[in-house]
This record gives sequence, C-alpha cells and structure tokens, in this order.
Amino acid sequence: MTATLGAKPAPGRGRARSRHRLAVLGFMAPAIIGFVLFFGYPLVTTVVLSFTKYDLINPPEFNGLDNYTFMFKDPLLIKAITNTLWFVVVLTIARTVFALGVASVIARLKSGVGLIRTLCYLPSLAPPVAATLVFFMVMRPNGGPLDSVLGWFGVDAPLFFSDPAWAKPGITAIMLWISGDLMIIILAAILDVPQEQYEAAELDGAGPIRRWWHVTLPTISPVLLFGIVNSVILALQLFTQAVVAGSAGSGAADATGSTKYLGFPDNSTLTFPVYLYTQGFRYFDMGYAAAMATVLFIISFAVTIVLVQRMRKNSTAEEGGPGA
Amino acid sequence: MRKHTRAALLCVAAALTLTACAAGKGGGANSDAAAAPGKDDKLTLTVWSNYSDREYEEVTKALKTFNQKFPNIEIKHEGSQDDDKITAGIRSGNTPDVALSFTTDNIGQFCSSGAFQPLKAYIDRDKVDLNQLTPAVQKYTEYKGNRCAMPMLTDVYAMYYNKDMLSAAGITTPPKTLDELYDAAVKATKKAPNGDIEVAGYLPTMGFYANRPTILAPTFGAEWEKDGKSGLASSPGFTEMMTFQKKLVDFYGYDALERFRAGLGQEYSADHAFHQGKIAMMVDGEYRTAFLKAQAPQIKFGTAPFPTWKPADYGTAFTTGTIMGIPKGAKNPGAAWELIKHLTFDTDTIVGLSNAIKNVPSTKAAMESPKLEVDEQFKTFIDLAKSDKLKGNPVTPIGDAHIKAVTDFSVSYQSGKVPDLAAGLKEVDKNIDDLIAKSGK
Amino acid sequence: MTATLTKPPVDVPAEPEQPRRKRDVAGILNWVATHAIGLALGLMFATPVVFVFLTAVMSDDQAFTSNLWPREWHWGNFVEVFDKAPLFQYLINSLTYSLLATLGMLISSIPAAYALAKLKWRGRNVAFLLVIGAMMLPPQVVAVPLYDTWSSLGLTGTLVPLIAPYFLFDAFSIFLLRQFMLTIPQSYVDAARVDGCSEFQALVRIIIPMAKPGIAATALFCFLFTWNDYFGPLLYTGEVKDQWTLSLALATFKGMHIVQWNSSMAVTFLTMIPAVVLFVFAQKSFVKGITFTGVKG
Repeated sequence: MTATLGAKPAPGRGRARSRHRLAVLGFMAPAIIGFVLFFGYPLVTTVVLSFTKYDLINPPEFNGLDNYTFMFKDPLLIKAITNTLWFVVVLTIARTVFALGVASVIARLKSGVGLIRTLCYLPSLAPPVAATLVFFMVMRPNGGPLDSVLGWFGVDAPLFFSDPAWAKPGITAIMLWISGDLMIIILAAILDVPQEQYEAAELDGAGPIRRWWHVTLPTISPVLLFGIVNSVILALQLFTQAVVAGSAGSGAADATGSTKYLGFPDNSTLTFPVYLYTQGFRYFDMGYAAAMATVLFIISFAVTIVLVQRMRKNSTAEEGGPGA
Repeated sequence: MRKHTRAALLCVAAALTLTACAAGKGGGANSDAAAAPGKDDKLTLTVWSNYSDREYEEVTKALKTFNQKFPNIEIKHEGSQDDDKITAGIRSGNTPDVALSFTTDNIGQFCSSGAFQPLKAYIDRDKVDLNQLTPAVQKYTEYKGNRCAMPMLTDVYAMYYNKDMLSAAGITTPPKTLDELYDAAVKATKKAPNGDIEVAGYLPTMGFYANRPTILAPTFGAEWEKDGKSGLASSPGFTEMMTFQKKLVDFYGYDALERFRAGLGQEYSADHAFHQGKIAMMVDGEYRTAFLKAQAPQIKFGTAPFPTWKPADYGTAFTTGTIMGIPKGAKNPGAAWELIKHLTFDTDTIVGLSNAIKNVPSTKAAMESPKLEVDEQFKTFIDLAKSDKLKGNPVTPIGDAHIKAVTDFSVSYQSGKVPDLAAGLKEVDKNIDDLIAKSGK
Repeated sequence: MTATLTKPPVDVPAEPEQPRRKRDVAGILNWVATHAIGLALGLMFATPVVFVFLTAVMSDDQAFTSNLWPREWHWGNFVEVFDKAPLFQYLINSLTYSLLATLGMLISSIPAAYALAKLKWRGRNVAFLLVIGAMMLPPQVVAVPLYDTWSSLGLTGTLVPLIAPYFLFDAFSIFLLRQFMLTIPQSYVDAARVDGCSEFQALVRIIIPMAKPGIAATALFCFLFTWNDYFGPLLYTGEVKDQWTLSLALATFKGMHIVQWNSSMAVTFLTMIPAVVLFVFAQKSFVKGITFTGVKG
C-alpha cells in the first residue's frame, strides 16, 4: 500500500468526515435493511417461536421447553441427527480427499489440462435436482447403466437408492461428482505454491510423493481447512439431494417432498434439514421446527467461527491485517 | 443482569405480538354458514385434487355437472395436488374453495386444526340427511363429532389376482386365509437358479404399492387403539401382521426381495408390476380395475376379499375415500358448500363418475342405482361396500404420522433389525402417544 | 503447452523440470501414468451425462431395457417433453427468478462490497463478520418466520419471496465482490478522491470498470445459484404449479408427468444446458470467481 495524499479523510475536517459517513451509510443501507429483515428479525423470531406451539392457523401459544424436551422423545429426530452426522463425517472427509486427489492429478498434467479441468468442473454447475436424477438413473438396479456395466463382470450393482445401507453412499457419490468447485480452489492453491520450494526439496533428494507431502500439502493447508469447513456446512445443509433421491427411490407417483416418502428408504435419507422442513412445512408444527432451527443455528454458528478464525489468521499473515 | 432479562422479555413479547398478528388472518373458526350464491353471481370456484391424467379428465367432467344448477359459476380444477400441497396452501393463504383429498389419513388434522371449516351449520341449515351415507363413510369424514368434510366416492380394498399365474401354479380358487395366501404366494413365485426372483406370488414389503398398515389392518383384525391410547403392542393382529410378512420375506430372502422390488415400476404407471405380470397377487383399491382395463387389457385378473387371519373375519375390508372440505380462508364458502353437496348427494353425478373412474359410490341410493355399471371384478368391491364389515382409518390429530411410524417399524422388522417384536411395538405405541400428546388436540 | 524454465502462468501446470538423462525413461512413464489417470478422471466425470444423453434419445420401449446404446435416435424426445409438461412456463419462471435476482443483487451488493473493501469506517469488521455469518447460515434456520411473514403478506405462491431479498442483501455476492475489490490497489481509489470524485463517482468510474471480471463472476454465480435453487421454490411455490421453476418441476417429472426414462432424462439434460453454455462463454470468470471464494481471505 503506497502512501498517498488524503488516503482517508483527515481527522479535523468535519465536513468531509460527515460526507464520508453519509457515503458509507448510503452504500450499506440496503444491506443493513436486508440483513435485519432477512436474518436479524427471523433469527430472533425463530428462537421465540421455538418456545411456542404454532400451526400457522391458530395464534402461537407459549409452551415453554416442550419442543426441546420432545426432541429427546422423537425417534425420527434422532435418526435425522444420526444421518446428518454421518454426512458431516463421511462427506467432509470424502469430498476433501477426493477434491485434493483430483486437483493433484490435474496439477501434474502437461497437456489436455483445459479439457480435463473442464470435464471435472462442469458437473458442479448442474442443478442439484438434475445431478441427483442423473445418478439415480445411472445407478438404478435392474437395467441401469452401472448395473449393466458391472454385469459384464458378473457383479450386481448395489441397490443405491432403495437399500438403506447404500442410500447415503449413493448421495455421497453425487456430492463428489459435483465437487468441482472445491477442486478448482485446491488446484489454484497447488499452482500457487512457489516453484522454489519444490526445487529446494528436490535438491534435498525428495521424490514427487515426498515433495507433495512435505511441500504441497503444508502450503495449501489453509485452503484444505477451508474445504473442510465448507464441506461441513454443505453436509449440515444437505437437503435437495436427500429429498430428490428419497422420493425418486420410493417410486412414488408424486415426487416433490411428500411426507410419506421423505427419508426413503427406511429414513436413511432423512437429514436434519429435511426433517426440519417436514415438521415445519408439511406437518406445520412451526414451533418444533423453530426449535430444530435454533439447534441447527447454534451448530452452524460454531462451524462459522472456526472458518472466521482461519480467515483472520490468513489475512493478517498475507495482507497485514486491514481485511477481516 | 436484571435489566438484561427485562429487555429480553420485552423483545420476546414484541416478537410474539408480531407473529400473533401475522397469524391473525385466520381468526377463530367460523360457525356461521355462508349464504348460497345468488342465481346471477358470477364467480369462479377453485377446486384442488390429486387426480391426474385419465382420472383428472373424468373428475373435471363431473365437476362441470354442477353448472346445470349454477351456470353462472365457473369451475377451475387443479389436479395433482396432494395432501401436503393442500395443507401448505391452506396454511399460507393460497387456498382453493374446495379441497379434495385422496385419503382420509389427514382428516383428524384437517378438522382439529381448523384447516377445514366445520360444516355443521351448513348441514343444519339445509337439513341434510347424513344417513344417506354408509356408516363407515360417515365415520371417516369427521373427527370427534366435528364434521369438516364430505365424501366424494369411496375406495374399498381387496385382493387382485392374476388368473393365469395362479392356475399355472395349480391354484384354482383365490386364497381365503393367511395360510392359503402364503401357500399360493410360494407356489406362484419363480426364482432363477441364482436366487433372483423372476416373478413373485405376493410381495409382503410394507410401503410397497398399497401395502399400508391401515389397509392391511382389517385382514389381521388389528386394532389401532386401546383405551384411548395407541394399542399396537396389545393387539394380536399387529403382531400377526408383522410375523406373517416376515415369514414371507424370509421365504424370498430379504436381499433378493429388495432387488426385485427396486426394479418394479411405479404405482400409477403402466409399468406397474401387476400390469406387467410380475406379481400374481396384491391388495389394492377398486380403482385398479379401471387402470388394468385401460393400461393392461392382456392381463386376466380376478378380485376377491383379501384373505384374513381369522376365518370369521373373511369379507372384511379397509375403506377410505376422497373427502371434500372447505378450507379456512376459502373465498366463496357458500358456493363451495353447494358444490360439495352436489358431489356428495347428486345420484346421477356420483354414478356417472363412479362408472368413469371405477370408484365405489358413497351414498346408498347411488349404490343401488340401475345405472351403476358393475362388472365381475368390480362387483367384489360393491358387495364389500354393502356389507357392514368395513373398517376405516384410525382418526388422529397427527396427520399420517402414526401410519408412517408403523410403516417404518415394519420395514425395520422385515429387514431383521428388530430383535424383540413386542418391545418394538411398545416403542411405536409410545412414540404415537407422544406425538398425539404434543399435538394437544 | 510444454514445461518451460520460467515460472508458469497460473493455469499452466507446474512441474519441476527433469534435468538428468537417467530420468528420461522414468519421466516418460510418469507422464503416461499421470495422463492416463487424468484422462480416466475426465471420463469418469463425463460418463454419467453421456448415459443420460443416450437414454434421452432412446425409444419409449428401449428406455425400459438395460441397453446402453440407442437402437434408433429419437431426437424428437427433446421436443416432445414440451408437450408433456408446461416447460416453457417453468423456463420463464426460472428466468424471471434468476435474472431479477441477479439484477437486484448487482444493485444492492456492489455498493455494499465497495464500502466493505475500500472505505474505512468503524464497525466495518463486524459488518463483514455478519456477512460471513449470513453466508454460512443454513436457509432452513430462518425459513419458519420468513414463511410466516410472506404468507401474512399474501405473497407465498409467487416468486416475490425468492427475488425480493436480492434487492437488499445477498451475503455470498457481497463477500465475493469484496474479495475482488480488495485486489484493486487502494491508490486508484485515492487518486480519484484527490481528483475530487465523490465516493459514488469513485465507485462508478474507477471500481466498477476495474472489477468487471469479478462482477461478471458474481453475477454468474448468482444466476446459477438461483437457477439451481430447489429449497426456495419448493417452500414458496410448492402448491402453485404455474409458478414452478425448472428445478422444482424437474424433481416431480420422474413420476408425475413422465414415467419413461427417456423423457425424464431429456428434461434433465435440457436443464443442464444453461450452465454449460454460461461456462463456455465465461470460463475465465468462473475459475477466477471460484478461486476467490476459497483462497484469498
């Protein structure tokens, strides 16, 4: 940052300062109003509603901690929490490792980079509904392409979206297919690793694998942390893929979020957000849904803090701190 | 510290008033009947139903017969609106004037929450004789004495069997008891040398097509309630339902069965397994006769009451039906009531629609009408409907959550994940009671 | 694209040169192995879509079978699906949602991002943290009261609850734009101020032209996010079919409108096209935008 004249309004000049304030206020006004309307107000109201019984027809009735105590008696909620935790663990690890692996391969390519990078990235732009249907079609038993191909080797494909044990792995496969954005982020980070570090490592006699382990990985670790946090958030929010896979797998005539089929098969795709949606907007138990939302808020808030801490450290290291 | 708490409380109070205002649009239940529309009032009635394709067209035609009485009223019929969408529409204020629900699963919730308006005032005003309806139908259109819905046609469930497949297996008469059913299912099943199922006699999987606990309960004499509480564990019928299904699952082999089932077509498509000759027997509603004739004329099928656990129960069946209500917030409740009355009681309309989509009429007069077309397969259902052995839905204020709970349990049990059946059923009981207690209705 | 001795530009792969002769054979093997894996990866990502396409052009009968290759090519399937469902209506709804939301986002987010990136004021860091917090918040958390509010305004069943927020606040776009604007040297802004520009003029004359790639990337992401959105339309327009977006409608196709695999895959394929087209025309912006979300704090 080079020093220039009047970089900031000089302290003494009152008129300029109030003009500056006015400008900030003007620029930020829509965002402030929007934040209050769409985040501040609903967040507070969610917490308030979580202490009520409210069905959107009759006025809310205060019912103390009933919604929270019911959580411990609700087998479906326990199922939903278990499923979401499964995704938080498995999806986070799988997605980060997979994206890192693909990015590492692409980084070593010398020709055809553009094409392969594009092929790997494009699926992540597909609508999640479409991506889920694609996998549902490809992985369907009895005649699906995957089943046919595996059939050549005498293997039966697993019943991806109709066997409770395979539904979550099936959804994870979809999520990996659309993890192109994380790949690109990691790829950029790998390509940013200073060449000199590799050369120094090579002089020490390090082979490609050791170079990757001792140079690439430590250098891009902040980005990997971002990938992990990002994947955790993604896993906590998992909704569309679970709903679409569940209803398509059930073979139900009406697919969009019918309560009868949410979580199919055997509630294995009933994630926390799906259950929240079911309670709030299918059974219209708004109070209970608000209680679940409050819990989800607390968890995602904790995760966000991890990310913010990381960004703080990063930006103080890189830019000397004016940023976040 | 104290100041903080007070501020927080104030905030809570303010927020509560805000939401209370938001909710105020509904207000209390309207106990007055809205006046019938005048002869010249130009208005449009919106009707939502879950019908699609062929059935949608026929129901639209039936709705239009209303115009003979009220030519000034235009009817807009929106199909493929399931209960979830109807509920969402009512809660958020996008209501139709008349809502048609396919099942009676949610009647308790519709009535107790006020989502459907009480109809008593209209019935009293117009001196409607409810005894024109069969008793089971009367029962499934109200909740704790609050009538908030009227019936439009009835569904009765019985057994469908593929004549060719059964006779090829050496079975000449349809099974009447569970033992016979098991026997027939085993004989009609064909397995490949590697254990894969090629065709199945009868699929026991809960949740598959019409295999719902409510539909199967009469077969086993299963009772949902005991002393006002969920009584699955204390009802021998439910235990028998689970063990019978499990016995069949074990015959097929769980994995083989799941693989077979996952490859079957959807319930309302031409790809339906029974249409394709992949299953020999199933439970389904009378409407299937029309689907089969339209989509799979090559299948020779017969119908009969579903086999029962206790021989004395033979001839019992589950009944449900399409119900109509006036949602809270409907724009033209007076006219909506006239339409509902027309569809519930106008014999010609009922018989015409019944002939078109093959549903059982819900009034005694229509059932006796000479114009009602009753063929060999449909007759089974009419006879069942005329009997007094029909069983309806357990009506609860929690929507279909109790049905889902039993279905989920049954799926786990069939997959071998439940070690103790009795304890498992007790847990489901507790879960259902908890849900009802939470609903506070 | 051969490896050079100089430090490669960003999107050319970095690989230390292999100076010694002995290594040549190993190097070639290494090259072959790496590229084989790369190719396999590329194919792995592409294959599902190829299957979708092949299924989409099959005849009704064949689509039920386990055949992988179409016997005849029924290109008409892509046209016929427009008769089976009101796709044009859904397309118009999707475009309305995506285009208006993107427009609203640009109007509201550019000034906010500028204030966060280039102006100094008390509370700026807190404001930025709130933006990140909002970005990370699962939409389900605030859905209950928002739904309640929109329904009391009589606006559920329309696209308004989906579009309106973008005209005020979109956390992700503000975040991304701010990251871009940080890379514009402060001296340009300061110079403009010295020349007597107001903050607004500095934004319009200096920042916006310089941040064009960033703005393009943000707009693309916003467009795609709304185009792909499922939760929002499901929540607000689930029961009002003539307001459905393509994404929402697509979820019901396999079953409600269309039972055959060929037709539902034809629709699936069609809904994926816009993203591909956008990517082809704006590949650089995409890649740049993506990297900015992750790397630079």
